[in-house]
Amino acid sequence: MRTTQALFKLRGSIHPEYFKGLARDKDIVAMPLPKQLCVSMAQHLGAPAKPIVSKGDHVLKGQRIGEAAGFISAHVHAPTSGTVTAVEDGPTVTGTLALRVVIEPDGQDTPANALPPIKDWTTAGRDTILARIADAGIAGMGGAGFPTRVKLSPPPDKPIDTLIINGAECEPYLTADHRVMLERAEQIWQGCEIMRSLLGVKTVRIAIENNKPEAIKAMQTAIAKADGDVAICILKTEYPQGAEKQQIFATTGREVPSGGLPMDVGCVVENVGTTYAVWDAVVNGNPLIERVTTVTGHPVAEPRNVLARIGTSYADLLAFCGGLTCDAVKIVSGGPMMGIAQSNLETTTTKTTSGLLFLEASRVPEYTSMPCISCGRCVVACPMDLLPAELSNRIEAGDYDAAESLNILDCIECGCCAFICPAHRPLVQHFKMGKSRVILKRRQAQTKS
Amino acid sequence: MDWMPVLITSGTIGGVGLACGSALALAAKFLSVPEDPKIAELEGILPGVNCGGCGFAGCADYAKAIASGAASVDLCAPGGPDVLKKLAAATGQEATATEKQVAMVLCQGNEHRAVHKHIYNGVADCNAAAMVAGGDMLCTYGCLGYGSCAFVCPVGAIAIKENLATIHPELCIGCKACIKACPRGIIRMVPESRSVHVLCSSKDKGPVAKKACQVACIGCKMCVKLGGEAFEMDGFLAKRNYAIPATSDTAIEKCPGKCIVKIGASEATTQTAPADGAPSGSHA
Amino acid sequence: MAEYILLLISAILVNNFVLTRFLGICPFLGVSKKLSTALGMCGAVIFVMTSGSAVTWAVQHKILNPLGLGYLQTIAFILVIAAFVQLVDIIMKKFLPALHGALGIYLPLITTNCAVLGVAVLNIQLEYSLLKAVFFGFAASLGFSLALVIFTGLREKIDRANPPRAFQGVAIGLITAGLLSLAFMGFANMVK
Repeated sequence: MRTTQALFKLRGSIHPEYFKGLARDKDIVAMPLPKQLCVSMAQHLGAPAKPIVSKGDHVLKGQRIGEAAGFISAHVHAPTSGTVTAVEDGPTVTGTLALRVVIEPDGQDTPANALPPIKDWTTAGRDTILARIADAGIAGMGGAGFPTRVKLSPPPDKPIDTLIINGAECEPYLTADHRVMLERAEQIWQGCEIMRSLLGVKTVRIAIENNKPEAIKAMQTAIAKADGDVAICILKTEYPQGAEKQQIFATTGREVPSGGLPMDVGCVVENVGTTYAVWDAVVNGNPLIERVTTVTGHPVAEPRNVLARIGTSYADLLAFCGGLTCDAVKIVSGGPMMGIAQSNLETTTTKTTSGLLFLEASRVPEYTSMPCISCGRCVVACPMDLLPAELSNRIEAGDYDAAESLNILDCIECGCCAFICPAHRPLVQHFKMGKSRVILKRRQAQTKS
Repeated sequence: MDWMPVLITSGTIGGVGLACGSALALAAKFLSVPEDPKIAELEGILPGVNCGGCGFAGCADYAKAIASGAASVDLCAPGGPDVLKKLAAATGQEATATEKQVAMVLCQGNEHRAVHKHIYNGVADCNAAAMVAGGDMLCTYGCLGYGSCAFVCPVGAIAIKENLATIHPELCIGCKACIKACPRGIIRMVPESRSVHVLCSSKDKGPVAKKACQVACIGCKMCVKLGGEAFEMDGFLAKRNYAIPATSDTAIEKCPGKCIVKIGASEATTQTAPADGAPSGSHA
Repeated sequence: MAEYILLLISAILVNNFVLTRFLGICPFLGVSKKLSTALGMCGAVIFVMTSGSAVTWAVQHKILNPLGLGYLQTIAFILVIAAFVQLVDIIMKKFLPALHGALGIYLPLITTNCAVLGVAVLNIQLEYSLLKAVFFGFAASLGFSLALVIFTGLREKIDRANPPRAFQGVAIGLITAGLLSLAFMGFANMVK
């Protein structure tokens, strides 16, 4: 049995109710083409892509419609064949505006076949594979959307010795990664082998929480014949096990330094969905144009794991899952802990949309935020060893310099502190605002000097 | 009477004082670090509010920058024309007389007029609210009303009434702190003598803007037709051209969005904005 | 040796200059709004009190005592300390510009500070030797620094805690200082 237990327990964590049962046993179902697809150019971390099609153009499935703008950026592809009806500003998941390409599908789904399949990737060469991953526009599908090509080509002064495949899926409600591991275990392992050869590492850890025994079993079968130090690392079910830095600590015992990246401690972490996308892009020549999104929540008539084209609107996704049985008061793109609340269903899916969650009134209590009572529960809960109470006090007073010296930039916005706070303080929101201010201040200082 | 103790006493204290004084004098002469006397002079002229509106860390920092030639003399907003004149005289620079500018919130969408798209119950700060699905107002340009500008105003000139920020023009010192704090960018500096303003910032097309707010500019160009060059269009948004006085009230009356308002007395008919001493409009 | 350790503990905790002897209240209240400025003040006070002790000891024992003018102590000390601090300011500016940048603005503030004068007078009253006087000056300034840093920390926290309007600013500051002083009374009579 190639399994190991987690080496270290998280510094701080919480145990929310998971509600994974809603969609855990539902097979991944491919959603039929909607009437319209709006493909955002800002689906990844870094510079938004530049659209290279204009209104009236006819595009084919998998044709490149957005060019990566800069080193940390990713290409965007047409999810199906059809006509471009507009290239305009549209709302992103955070409510800001970004360019998007609106495509009206012609129903033919004619493939462009721009990327030839590389059946024998072992002999293809490192540069070819890396170029393919960039051409397929793959970005981290766990949530942050960091361009995978950049992650897989670390600078030579940062030796990598461990590849971690992240299948923890610690967010409550979400089951997309779980289903992907169950149904596509073999492909994930192949994708993992591809990345392993790119990085030249022997050690691979596939990190899965112990509330997904079926996924652990499926992945064990897939890696049965693997050579080298490959093992499933079984993590305790606690939030935030799936956060990159926490996962590295749990699986290897290494701690990413403040302000550092996983490569500083010789690790690369990839989500299971990304791993599958890498395999699909290399072996089948398919760019990243669809992903599994969990549509869930108690008001949803039929919670499902939907394989939807990127650019599908939230309204279409909900309709495919049978609509709502009762009124939902909160719509969250992503999981309940780190997801972003939406004010309508016009937003469309991106490469990072892992879930769409609907919450009814009884699960969204109205809180009034009270002053901090200095109980220190947030300090115990913080997985990054920060002082959330102190930080939020300082941000509330407008003292961003003090917040910076208390390492606010190390906050991963996991929400443990706000979850546990008995005074219902909106801690994460404070930190999000404080971080944006501190980053802005640093940028201004940089341009001045 | 024996005068000796008195002489010894005063001699000792005097001697110690003389020794200390000479030591200081010598030190000041031989160890002094040359410093531009101009800096102290300029610092004396500046108002000393340390508002940071000039872009420097405070009045002393700004004085240093002027003395070294790194900054022009016209950056001090709280000082107004008086300080500008004095600074120009002290440095020998040309004084380009500018009128006092005050900040103005170009929005009238309070909680009754603007439409909300969702309920927001997070941190009471505009920047935080704007980060949640782009703010809780349907209008993506308008005032959010959580008072980030009022929080940073050094003189308390900004009031939040019914979720709308209003700046008191007589209290405003023109430091532009509110402009930096506003996530929507709807606060603009306007000449103090001008009283007619287009109080809308929505660049949306007419129907969209109207759906979002009762007092939105719908881009009908009525003001340009009636008010002449005092108004200009920026896409679907009318803007005030403050170089030209708006003398007629017809544009205000006929504006279908009711977004052109007059605050205070009518504008003088002079073509260019007067340098100083202009009648300042009182807040309505 | 034990004598010096006792002197140190006495000057820092038991007979703290600010909280027990109530000397140097002006900078204690004035520069206790931010920790960074408070630390700068501490640095300046440690420097001036230590070296000031030496200078005033010399003035008393080499000039005033031989002439039988002990009663001129106060006037002479004020004069000498003020001139000395100015001199240090000028010399520091010339030769140690970096240190001057950090402490420079605090030096003029303490030219006639009562804590500096107090330590000079106490040195004479308690008949300390030169070495002991310098050590006492250093220990007393450490005590001042401790009180200032604790107080600044409290004030920073109180400022964020949003006290009622009537108490904001100096009012709550004075109450805090009083309570802090009471707390230091707990050390009373530990060392003579």
